[in-house]
Amino acid sequence: MTDDKDVLRDVWFGRIPTCFTLYQDEITEREAEPYYLLLPRISYLTLVTDKVKKHFQKVMRQEEVSEIWFEYEGTPLKWHYPIGLLFDLHASNTALPWSITVHFKNFPEKDLLHCHSKDVIEAHFMACIKEADALKHKSQVINEMQKKDHKQLWMGLQNDKFEQFWAINRKLMEYPPEDNGFRYIPFRIYQATTERPFIQKLFRPIASGGQLHTLGDLLKDVCPSAIIPEDAEQKTQVMIHGIEPMLETPIQWLSEHMSYPDNFLHISIIPRPTD
Amino acid sequence: PIMRTKKWAVERTRTIQGLVDFIKKFLKLMASEQLFIYVNQSFAPSPDQEVGTLYECFGSDGKLVLHYCKTQAWG
Repeated sequence: MTDDKDVLRDVWFGRIPTCFTLYQDEITEREAEPYYLLLPRISYLTLVTDKVKKHFQKVMRQEEVSEIWFEYEGTPLKWHYPIGLLFDLHASNTALPWSITVHFKNFPEKDLLHCHSKDVIEAHFMACIKEADALKHKSQVINEMQKKDHKQLWMGLQNDKFEQFWAINRKLMEYPPEDNGFRYIPFRIYQATTERPFIQKLFRPIASGGQLHTLGDLLKDVCPSAIIPEDAEQKTQVMIHGIEPMLETPIQWLSEHMSYPDNFLHISIIPRPTD
Repeated sequence: PIMRTKKWAVERTRTIQGLVDFIKKFLKLMASEQLFIYVNQSFAPSPDQEVGTLYECFGSDGKLVLHYCKTQAWG
């Protein structure tokens, strides 16, 4: 029987094979070859694409280069969403490698946040962790940690160091022995088809009678259109880290084992492929 | 800088960035000056975060309490 800790490793080391191509309207001095890279699902685009930037900047004139941004089939990719979420939401059932277009001009101000340095990514990452702990523990655990512990979470993510990250993160996954789980579950549900960016609400992992709420319970409560309860052919997939967990899975377990490093469960609702 | 009117009614879909822009204008700050917004004096939400979502998760007594700051305080 697989140890639950193996799930943590599988989530951490998930990768998406990606092909980066320069946008055809960008002005280059030489032909720009595509660049191939395995992207960590748990990280952020601007954190892991320094080599991509260098590769394309080599064939461009200095003055043509400003802030890099990424797009998939016309949709600007939000760097502040984890890579795995972006893939599951936009390209999940398409052929690999994931084809991303690289831009250096016409930054889409309305769709994307700027990312001028790694500090911006760190600030965003830490803010998400703090928000998650506000929901799980009324911020008590994160506030009791020292600054160096916060730094270790970020360094673990930045340097792809699983043990370093989880040495601290495991504290964020604990709860008082008298409780059976977190106060509320940090989650966000995304659907490519809707106008609203995501659904995030208060949801308790334990029912008043003490039973564990499931993923299905969560969906029924906050996004009932996502699943049709009867055995009707499901038109949608509920995806986390590229898999469809069983709807009977306790949400407390999912929160502890399948959250992203920012401590949120990022859940995609996508159309089920019809083939 | 202190605001005299502290309570505002805002549409749910207004973003944090939208609030920041409004407060900057109201306090006559320059666009280039930084303004940080905090929820529960614990975290700074993302600029594209909707106020409605923050209210559902962190509001109480019919309101969402936010703190604003020209320097980083709790983030």
